[in-house]
Amino acid sequence: MKTVIVTGATSGIGFAVCEALLGAGCRVIGIGRTGERAAEALEKLRRSFPAADCTFYHGDLMLTSDVRRLAAELRRDLDERCGGRLDALVLNAGCVRSWYMTTPEGFEQQFALNHLSGFLLTSELLPHLTAGRGMVLITSSQSHKMMKVNWDDIFFQKRYRPLMAYKQSKLCNMLFARALNDRYADKGIRAYGIDPGLVHTEIGCKNTGGIVNFVWERRKKHGVDPSVPAQIYAGLITRETRPYGLYFGIRGEAPCSRQVTQENADRLFQLSEKLLNIEFGVQKEADTACLS
Amino acid sequence: MFVLITGAAGGLGRAFAVECAKRGYDLYLTDINDAGLALLKRGITGAYPVRVITRGCDLTKGDEVEALFDDVRQYGITFDMLLNVAGGDLEGGFYDRGADNLVKIVQVNVETALRVTRQVLDHRTPNGPLYIVFVSSLASFYPMPLKATYAASKTFLREFACALRQELRGQGVKILTLCPGGLMTTPEAASGIAAQGFWGDMTTNPLERMTRRTINRVLKDRSLYVPGFVNRLFRFAGALVPKPVVARLLHARWQSAQKEWLKI
Repeated sequence: MKTVIVTGATSGIGFAVCEALLGAGCRVIGIGRTGERAAEALEKLRRSFPAADCTFYHGDLMLTSDVRRLAAELRRDLDERCGGRLDALVLNAGCVRSWYMTTPEGFEQQFALNHLSGFLLTSELLPHLTAGRGMVLITSSQSHKMMKVNWDDIFFQKRYRPLMAYKQSKLCNMLFARALNDRYADKGIRAYGIDPGLVHTEIGCKNTGGIVNFVWERRKKHGVDPSVPAQIYAGLITRETRPYGLYFGIRGEAPCSRQVTQENADRLFQLSEKLLNIEFGVQKEADTACLS
Repeated sequence: MFVLITGAAGGLGRAFAVECAKRGYDLYLTDINDAGLALLKRGITGAYPVRVITRGCDLTKGDEVEALFDDVRQYGITFDMLLNVAGGDLEGGFYDRGADNLVKIVQVNVETALRVTRQVLDHRTPNGPLYIVFVSSLASFYPMPLKATYAASKTFLREFACALRQELRGQGVKILTLCPGGLMTTPEAASGIAAQGFWGDMTTNPLERMTRRTINRVLKDRSLYVPGFVNRLFRFAGALVPKPVVARLLHARWQSAQKEWLKI
């Protein structure tokens, strides 16, 4: 049985991915932001799949302290129940902000959640991914195109443009997938960026104001049901062989932005390591001073 | 440049800390929230090559402030800039709150600023200018029903800062009062602003731009900064209308906004 961890699993695409994977007979470990939402999602999944093996953890991935705590819990769970192997990690948690807002560490929130949280979680789970010759699927988007990484002002402090910050974070997803393949493909890890297309979810209406909320309220109605893109994830995870390629949409492999180069990928990788003060794949003991 | 920021672990304090770090200023951060300070320190030292010192402190307690500055003296730190960010409001009208809570609002907004500012004057870099920012509020221009204590304490800060600025002018102290409208600092603030609807959006100031301009302005020795065109308009409109009328209008607005907010 394959073990899959899904972040952002309580609603939208993440929830649909859990359903698809449970339907395909995988063991699913979901991660939600709050305990209530996690319990609610678990109950809904149990109702549809009474015999399935599904558990939930909760934590705010925007906080690196929470990511580290979650990773420790997940490692323990994987060691106990799955022989220390992780077959796939779905980095799906994401957010949209219409204003410049920072995490407790002073990072811009879209960059912190959409990119850094996944970077840190992958780093923390790397030994288990290697043991399972695992796959990392990152929810990116077509919006990563027509965009460059704003290296001089990565948090958009000069003038915050919500959509640009979102596009950049999605480009970062592609660059991270590329960097993972460059570094760990020989250890059996494959990373893919996923283009879910336009999906009917609440991402643009969670605590956003003004124009972002207004636009997304109208735009989401044209989106497909989350169960449609969930098939991309389930398809890749349950497949016998792993395809080459980096970017997959509903019609299979797709070309990604020309900005996704090894140079940019390395640069982002190093920047992320520096921001988080970690060496990728090396797990430090939990920093007790920072656990709140 | 060594900058002391109070209330550094909150949303506005963080934005100021990051802005100063970006400019290459060294930071001395204090807040009542120790864990938040530790996280912020880790984030800033990862992103910028500056010195960051943190120290948890309840600034409403005189002896804790004394201890903080004893430490500062011991390490031989002298400050060039002080950002008085610490402050806040507890939700609810006057009658719904206990006396202790009401006094607490005045303490965190007024008392902390007085204590810290007085101390920093003794620990400023010799022969250099000293820049001080007081964070007041757009609310300081009006009588604010349902936020009466908060608004009045912010008025204190604004008037006080204006007078102090004149008093210390000859000694190279430059003082700016910042009077922001809504700020997207916490999820609660975000939902509060969303509840105000259109006008919530119009009076909200983008954090990144406002913090940058605040520092720019205090460096240029400006006295008052009301960020945002709509907020400046409101400020002048408020000055034209008699205060009891303003109070009546604001009361109506806050009541409906709070009803909306509590529903969410």
